[in-house]
Amino acid sequence: MGRQAVLRRQAVRLVGLVAAAALAAGCAAEQKAAGGGDAGGTAGVTDTTIRVGGVLTKTSASGYSTKDAEIGARARFQRANDAGGVHGRKIEFIGAEDDNQDAAKGDAAAKKLVQKDKVFALVPVHGPNFGGAVFLEQQGVPWFGWATGPQWCGTTTGFGYNGCLAPKPGAGSQTWWGNQMAELVGGSGGKTVYVQTTDSSGSKYGGKTISQSFEAAGFTIVGINSGLPAAAPPPDWLPYVNKIMTSDGGKAPDVVVSIIAGTKFNVGLYSALKKAGYKGLLTDATSYDAAILKDPATAQALEGVIAAPMFEPFESGAPEIAQLRADVEKAAPGTVLTQHLAIGYWSADIFLKVLEQTGKDLTRERFLATANGSFSYENAGFGRIRYPKDHNEPNGCGALVTLEGGTFKVAKNMKCFDNVPLK
Amino acid sequence: MPEFFGYIVSGLVTGAVFAVMASGLTLSYAATGVFNFAHGAIGFLAALLFFELNVGLGWPAWPAGLVAVAVFSPLLGYVLHRAMFAGLAQAGETAQIVGTIGLTIALPALGLWIVDLVAEPFGLPRADATALPHGLGPYPPVNVDVGGVRLDSDQIITFVFAILAAAGLWAFMRHTPYGLRMRASVDRRRLATLRGIDADASSALAWMLGSTLAGLAGVLAVSTLGLDSTAFTVMLFVSATAAVFGRLRSIPVTFAAGLGLGVVQNLVAGYADFAEDVTGLRTAVPVILLFAGLIVLNRSRDRVAGSAAEDAPPPDYLADLPAWRRRLPWIVALAALLGWTLTRPADDFYVGVVAQGLVLALIFCSFVVVTGIGGMVNLAQASFASMAALTCGWAFSSGLPFPVAIGLGVLGATAVGVLVALPALRLGGRILTLATLALALLADQVLFQIDAFSNGTIGWPLPALGLGFADTTDPRVRVVLLLALIGLVGLLVRNLERSASGRAILAVRSAPAAATTSGISAARTKILLFALASGIAGLGGVLFAISKGSVTATDLPAFAGFVWLAVVVLQGVRRIGGAVLGGLIAAIFPELLAGWHVSAHVGAILFGTGGMILARHPDGVLAQMAEGRHRRRRRRVERARAAAVQAEAAAVPEAGNEPAAASEAGAVANGSGPAADGIVAAENGSGPPRGLRGAAGRGEGPAEPSREALFRLENVVAGYGDVTVLRGVDLSVRPGEAVALLGANGAGKSTTCAVAAGDLPVAAGRVLLDGVDVTAWPAHRRAREGVLLAPEGRGVFPGLTVEENLRTWLPDPDPVYERMPQLARRRGIAAGALSGGEQQLLTLAPALIRPPRVLIADEPSLGLAPLVVAQIFEVFAELRERGVALLLVEEKATAALELADRVAFMRLGRVTWTGPRAEVDDTRLTAAYLGVA
Repeated sequence: MGRQAVLRRQAVRLVGLVAAAALAAGCAAEQKAAGGGDAGGTAGVTDTTIRVGGVLTKTSASGYSTKDAEIGARARFQRANDAGGVHGRKIEFIGAEDDNQDAAKGDAAAKKLVQKDKVFALVPVHGPNFGGAVFLEQQGVPWFGWATGPQWCGTTTGFGYNGCLAPKPGAGSQTWWGNQMAELVGGSGGKTVYVQTTDSSGSKYGGKTISQSFEAAGFTIVGINSGLPAAAPPPDWLPYVNKIMTSDGGKAPDVVVSIIAGTKFNVGLYSALKKAGYKGLLTDATSYDAAILKDPATAQALEGVIAAPMFEPFESGAPEIAQLRADVEKAAPGTVLTQHLAIGYWSADIFLKVLEQTGKDLTRERFLATANGSFSYENAGFGRIRYPKDHNEPNGCGALVTLEGGTFKVAKNMKCFDNVPLK
Repeated sequence: MPEFFGYIVSGLVTGAVFAVMASGLTLSYAATGVFNFAHGAIGFLAALLFFELNVGLGWPAWPAGLVAVAVFSPLLGYVLHRAMFAGLAQAGETAQIVGTIGLTIALPALGLWIVDLVAEPFGLPRADATALPHGLGPYPPVNVDVGGVRLDSDQIITFVFAILAAAGLWAFMRHTPYGLRMRASVDRRRLATLRGIDADASSALAWMLGSTLAGLAGVLAVSTLGLDSTAFTVMLFVSATAAVFGRLRSIPVTFAAGLGLGVVQNLVAGYADFAEDVTGLRTAVPVILLFAGLIVLNRSRDRVAGSAAEDAPPPDYLADLPAWRRRLPWIVALAALLGWTLTRPADDFYVGVVAQGLVLALIFCSFVVVTGIGGMVNLAQASFASMAALTCGWAFSSGLPFPVAIGLGVLGATAVGVLVALPALRLGGRILTLATLALALLADQVLFQIDAFSNGTIGWPLPALGLGFADTTDPRVRVVLLLALIGLVGLLVRNLERSASGRAILAVRSAPAAATTSGISAARTKILLFALASGIAGLGGVLFAISKGSVTATDLPAFAGFVWLAVVVLQGVRRIGGAVLGGLIAAIFPELLAGWHVSAHVGAILFGTGGMILARHPDGVLAQMAEGRHRRRRRRVERARAAAVQAEAAAVPEAGNEPAAASEAGAVANGSGPAADGIVAAENGSGPPRGLRGAAGRGEGPAEPSREALFRLENVVAGYGDVTVLRGVDLSVRPGEAVALLGANGAGKSTTCAVAAGDLPVAAGRVLLDGVDVTAWPAHRRAREGVLLAPEGRGVFPGLTVEENLRTWLPDPDPVYERMPQLARRRGIAAGALSGGEQQLLTLAPALIRPPRVLIADEPSLGLAPLVVAQIFEVFAELRERGVALLLVEEKATAALELADRVAFMRLGRVTWTGPRAEVDDTRLTAAYLGVA
């Protein structure tokens, strides 16, 4: 009895101590608005140079890598420098940090670039799990890249090269994919679509926006399945394929849209579908990848797939693409053109455009004021971009590419469509 | 129904990969006691090699697969055994878990780094997401209809290989001597070595086999998984579920469970559409099964509830230093850190890094509480931190004042901690660890996926923490605030250790049953620990989020918690200092590497190397530094002490020997004093010259003087750790002679046996077999050369059948059955089910058929009925007739005295009297036992 009482007293005392510690932290706590940070604005800018660095997911445990974006940005900066720079200042591109697809590392990388390397802006930023957004917004440092995550959206400093791809409900959501597909197949009337995503909030969100895109274009959605495990491809595709093959009232749908990142996932799904006798259209956002062509069997598995890149395909005859090819060939001869490379290139291109419009007197405030003050820029490479509008919604532009006979062919050139509010 | 049937067939086929992987996991765990978290990583490496050989160098799939599975994987298993697992098997549970987690990170990094290095010069493909590995079969795979289900060639090959692997493994374990030795080593490792089984070699074999199975699973799975090391780790967790259903022991059950998992996953994918709204629930099915399996099937039998008695704390080597001297390095470091911090500008990058390190340090302090003090390994710590941060963000965004939101966050984590503690009440050891792993994964995959709680992928923004004069946007403020909080936690921990609760925790940790009978509530103690630890982790998580300015569900993934544990344990999990050092290293080290432009892979590899250090020094770097200094001081002292003990033994001429005894000399003698051993000492030249011995003047006793001692201990000093038990023991036995070693409880008899059999190393002195110095031989080698110890208690492998027990010593047990029909009738029964007498007969029976040269029996009559004792001693008599040198160690003298030719009395670590049996009378016996001689 006595011992128990003592024990209980001790326990109470300990719990009390913890509570006191928590309280101490709590009492001291006081809500404060995020500070403006270093407002100097000339960091990274001299009379002759502008220092810029990026954050990419160069390596990750899952093997996903966006490192090619560095080559793209470098190639674009090199052309600008060869042309004498922007208002007499050359771009000093110090390369990109690797965030390992780890939010905390991305945050640390952003801090390193701003505080230690003293860059003016972060270009390109391209990682699915980039964690430096809050810091950059707080410090008023501009950052350019591919805005696939919600951390980009609604900021004043984060500039997605094709807008914010994760709009909030009520904000504009893209319809170009559905519309381009409808144009490609000669009308959407009576055509059915099945959307396959993985079992994670991010992928489910993608399923929502993309099915809305197809709906807006007049297709009938017969299924949105999010059953696929998110971490690794399922060892057995049978249950998923069975669902697809019977989704249209017992028949297969006309179009299957795959919202899964990763060639391995898509190859698995498409092979299984073809094994089950699927004859309809397959479309996804990630299969436009030259690496696929190197492997004949993968190319065969993906034969006929319609990929949906958010930039003008490299096979296009547009002069902007010829310029891109020339720039890359000059900066890094022999480089294979990839999606990530294009993203780095166009991000750098838009950054340079804003620099040019800001003028000779360059501070971060002036730069941001220019970019966020009804900035509009059209380019065949990525369509068009308008800030501050596109801080909150995608630019609404995209192209289609088909894999035919082992090579990619442009099915639809870059075209922009009106967004519709996200449900 | 054909759809349903299809799911089952197809599920069985795909479950085969889990089955192979899980079998390897169970095999290595059962054979070595190490649960290998790196099993998936080994599979990944084999798959990587297969990919580079096949796709990169253009080898055909079969030779590439053969090299990866049959050559590389066993080799890797062997290297890991030598470098790490052999050491880990002796280390505590924490070190084991952490060591293999380190490998999980280091092995894939090593492989990818090597590929990065050689890819350019050799034109090999990179192993990233664009890599497209093939399967073993034709490429692209050919489709075949099997009973209405369309399977491709890779699936069929996988299934066939799994069945072959299972059958081969079963045959190997049941029908080869290697398998028998491995199972014997698992059953009773110490006894196995006494039977001449090289347990270390058995472990090596188990690792090679386990690694081969991992490699096979990896090569079979890579064509569907791709070269994604995360996917392989996920596969390991699924396989762990199967292994848990096999109770980590039974390979057939594990295999079946693996197949079953494939079916369950298919059925869930096919029919569980109702779970659509709960994101992640279907993905988490294996994890849910893992948790259920742990709770239902794996109640720890012997050591309940998080006790980890084998994790004995290291001695406090600095205990003799004054308090100020012990704290000096920390105070100096703290002053230096503060001084440096306050002289830096507000936007200094490195101060930010240090602040980040201190946030981690605060979280790491929770490991000190739950693992360092409580002895429970918790892999869910990152989930607690995440939980608190998300709760705080949610509460703040719902409009609650910030302090209240912080309090709610910490309370939320504490509540979850209590919830996690509930299974801990029932589970112990590794099972508890796996349960926390399951909970961590469940939190990641389901709880944090709930949009209302984590605000989708956007997460919650958090404001800076204002302190009136400054706020936490300034990293310098964070450093000071965190140092204060860590100091507070340090005080808390010290208080906890010194309080009654602390004593209760220690009691529960080392002996839960005893603690319960002493009126200590184990349940309350453990809940308190978990609550405290998760509260601290929660506070750390909130501060992590505040210093980042926001929190999302993916900021602190479950896997981060594993890495954290590894970092802390590497520094030393028993002290706050280890946590602080760990936090700073975790934050600063990657920055340094990046600054030197070293590949991120190298950091991961170095980290894994830490696991190897841990295998050798399980208490971490801090303890290691203290120990190193201590050992340097101690080494001289120790050597001097052993010598002193020997000298002392020599200097006591016949302390216990009466003149009559002194004249006996003979086979059994005490000390190396002049009167001790006639022939024995003289022949090896360690004693005075023979002439001086006056052998003629001494009676040689009943043993024939011409025969020399076959087995002899010579002035042996030995003990356990700092305790010296044997203080200069001399003892020898001749062929065909029975020597009875008698003495009271605690005299050192069993220690003498252990030294004789090679089970315990000697500090000084020699052990000789037939004149050959065997002191350095390990136990299994001595056994093979004919020194057989029948240990105290029963010398049988309880988990093996009677037949298998006999086979550990005899190639053919039939003669035993002829001699002992009662054993023949029970040949298929597990030895543990036999009566005590039968077990003792089973222990000694093999010796009758294949007599050893020396048989040492430690308390052979203990706890047996008189009739059985008589039977046992008949066996001894027969062995003596056949020329075996017998050393019988008994506390109760009667039976041994009847048989013995010669008697030696032991007291306080020395042989106090030796002589022929005829001279033993009641007076001498009493004197020997009571120590009044």
